[in-house]
Amino acid sequence: MADGRLGDGPGRRGFPRYPPPWMMFVLLSWPILGVVDPRDRLRNAGKRLTDPAEAMAQRVAERVIDLVVEVLDVNALMLRLDLNAVLGRVNLNDVLRRVDVKTLLDQIDVNDLMSRVDLDALMSRVDLDALMARVDVNELVQRIDVEGLVEQTDLGAVIARSSGGVAIEALDSARSQAVGMDQFIDRWVQRVLRRHHPGPAAPGGPDGRDPSPEGRVPSPDGHAPPLSPPGTAQ
Amino acid sequence: MSGRRRAPEWVTSQGQYAGSVSRFLAFAIDAAVSAGLFSLGLAAASLVVQVVTGHSVHWTRANIAVAIIFVLWEFFYFGYSWAASGRTFGMAVLGVRVVRADGAALDPWRGVVRALVFPLSFLFLGLGFLGILVQREHRALHDLIAGSCVIYAWDARAARLRFLARDAEASVNASAPGPAVPPGS
Repeated sequence: MADGRLGDGPGRRGFPRYPPPWMMFVLLSWPILGVVDPRDRLRNAGKRLTDPAEAMAQRVAERVIDLVVEVLDVNALMLRLDLNAVLGRVNLNDVLRRVDVKTLLDQIDVNDLMSRVDLDALMSRVDLDALMARVDVNELVQRIDVEGLVEQTDLGAVIARSSGGVAIEALDSARSQAVGMDQFIDRWVQRVLRRHHPGPAAPGGPDGRDPSPEGRVPSPDGHAPPLSPPGTAQ
Repeated sequence: MSGRRRAPEWVTSQGQYAGSVSRFLAFAIDAAVSAGLFSLGLAAASLVVQVVTGHSVHWTRANIAVAIIFVLWEFFYFGYSWAASGRTFGMAVLGVRVVRADGAALDPWRGVVRALVFPLSFLFLGLGFLGILVQREHRALHDLIAGSCVIYAWDARAARLRFLARDAEASVNASAPGPAVPPGS
């Protein structure tokens, strides 16, 4: 070994016969080191120490919170809170946009909820006059399917009996026929005159649909006729 | 129930310019009614004269006095109706009404002016009435002079509801079973 050759056995000239012991150790342990991390033992040891400490810390924290909550007078705390100021800082629209109302409502037992509500007490606190003042009754009525109501309820029979009459029926029919013929002739005249833009439909404003307030000519039954665009007065 | 039917166009025509057919029919009714009332008046006058004087009087159209009275009567009939309520009897039947050009209720003096210039539309084979057909606002010559126009004023929506109600009741009656027939009869 003094000449630096590896091993003691016979070999080619200039090359050691056996590798040195440290190289043997590396060569033999290399496959094992690829699978086993020698630092695992250190980690395991550390974990054995930290797990009980973490559990203990959690228990201590829970106990401390219990003690604090027991000591706290929540009602007094809530009384000191300025809820209006808090709510004033909350962007309710933003919050509501994030809420999945459908899912929320699916989870609510409305029957149970309503059984707990004292409706009489609730309604006694409601200022119905103020509430109704904010309701746009006209818009509400526009949303009612009156025709469907007449067709599907006894209201139709009531109307038919109260307003039934050969004369009224004939009058309605004659008027509607006349209006239909008016529109038929008007369409042909527009076509013959090659008018692409028909004139205003009704007297009034620039587009013929916005008469002055005093200009609402009452209908035969005393009501102002709806000078609304076609389709909105249904 | 077979779904909701589509409302016809005339349901929403209330307040819009009235067309030629409605106006012509209204005028035809007015012409008949005013002529009938005039004839009744003449007959009543003849009766009174016969009762008072004992002589029978026969009025003819060739009589110039009768013609003048007839013209005055027509002015009164149309002028008073338009000035008072914006519509004549025929217009009420057809559900149309005379209003100001801006849609406001007709001033009485405009109603009178409209009646006075109404004959002008008959000139030149009724050329003045051509405006009802071709003018964008369906205004005849007398409308343009008097600053008026004619609109639909009948409650078409109520008529539509009455129609639906009658229709619904008729379908209910048709589907209802008839009276029970006693066995053995």
